Amino acid sequence: MDPPLISESSFSAANPAAYSLAEIWPFGPEQLPGSGLRVANMGPNPAGFAETSANRDGSMEESTVTEQSAGGGGRKRRDVSPEDESSKMVSTSSANELNNTNGKRTKLVGSKYEIGGPKAEAEASSVAGDKPAEQATKPSEPPKQDYIHVRARRGQATDSHSLAERARREKISERMKILQDLVPGCNKVIGKALVLDEIINYIQSLQRQVEFLSMKLETVNSRMNLSPTIEGFPSKDLGVQAFDAAGLLFGLQAPPREYAQGSHPPEWLHMQVGGSFERPTWVEKAFVLLAECLGLSRHHCIGRGI
Amino acid sequence: MTSPKGFTLTNTNSCRLKFARRFLRSLMEIRRRQTNHNNLLSSSSSSSSSSSCLGDQIRKSSQRIKLAAYSSMAYAVGPRKAWARALLWKLKNRSSNRRRFVVRKTCLLGVKKKKKKRVHVNKVNYQSKGYERDNNFVEKTEKLRELVPGGKAMDICSLFEESAHFVKSLAMQVQVMQDISDQLSR
Repeated sequence: MDPPLISESSFSAANPAAYSLAEIWPFGPEQLPGSGLRVANMGPNPAGFAETSANRDGSMEESTVTEQSAGGGGRKRRDVSPEDESSKMVSTSSANELNNTNGKRTKLVGSKYEIGGPKAEAEASSVAGDKPAEQATKPSEPPKQDYIHVRARRGQATDSHSLAERARREKISERMKILQDLVPGCNKVIGKALVLDEIINYIQSLQRQVEFLSMKLETVNSRMNLSPTIEGFPSKDLGVQAFDAAGLLFGLQAPPREYAQGSHPPEWLHMQVGGSFERPTWVEKAFVLLAECLGLSRHHCIGRGI
Repeated sequence: MTSPKGFTLTNTNSCRLKFARRFLRSLMEIRRRQTNHNNLLSSSSSSSSSSSCLGDQIRKSSQRIKLAAYSSMAYAVGPRKAWARALLWKLKNRSSNRRRFVVRKTCLLGVKKKKKKRVHVNKVNYQSKGYERDNNFVEKTEKLRELVPGGKAMDICSLFEESAHFVKSLAMQVQVMQDISDQLSR
């Protein structure tokens, strides 16, 4: 792609800089002469720049490291994703703005879908042209393979936008599946909109049930309430303790009905025995009506699929 | 074993336990307050409780119980979930501001909504891909957004995740309340 800028090249084993470069290089040192890589040794460089220029055929390799010495700093690009190779293959001799737009694009994708986060960082640093930072980020790059498993199958678009969109769609359908498993009788419904309809119905029926149950609890509560004079109302903290014990037992036992027979707090019995109802009949009627309505809806919701 | 979405079995049990405890405690609290109120009423004027007053009182206290149930559910789930946070926030604002009682109530139940805010965000989403171009799907998603507390600010993936959790917790709540009422009414 671009001609090597440094003519004098040597591969000296005594130089630590050359060692580190050889370690970083993904391909073994036995490939180095064959692929035309030259490690430039500038000697003890005070700035710490060991400039290497690599000339590689990018279409044959999956990952390319191209470094070009320009001005005071080296610029490095590394592409690991084979899908994006055609779009991302930027010749290093080209202008900077191409690099910039590419970096921006991946950054946008990464911030939105958290794909290729470190890559965007690496590109940002490569735009800045800071070499030590690049070397620091470079070893952390290979294990990060978030975007690799979003592979395009044959005939699918390999654009990064399409890849991200496909990943998103897969995520959505997965969540939808979870929801579908939660709602009873929703497995046999076909079509996203119908499934959502079913879910909404289910949530609404649950909320209505909560409302109804709160009304029922209110009656029970106040029924116990209206008879405080029969036998002196139990002391508050005692009552709380009994309730807590009930709650504990309730939560620990798998079938919660069982604790009802066994450990019944005695004061409830007393209060219920002496309970005097002064409730108007229309309330009871309304409860019955509501219960019927709710039972119908619950039946409708559960029984549809079964 | 601890998957981020949904809760595991032990987690469900602990949630149920927490909810039951909290709810029973708040029931006790409500009852105590009501007895105090009743005592006050009976001491001041014995024949003041007409039927309309009683109905109003019943409605109010059932509302209070419902709110207690919701808030204890949200507390039991904890602040990890966005819907629980949103629910608690709504309840808190509501209890501090009594004047907007009715409005908040509809907000809590998700009956009535203003849709001004979402429109802008959704436009961007809809244009993007064909998955959401289905109009029916979009409508249903909006409806779901209204039902799940805090759903307006979520993107679609997290909306589904949160609503799955919400459905689970609601089912748990209904079961627990059912058991409590069965227990108390026998």
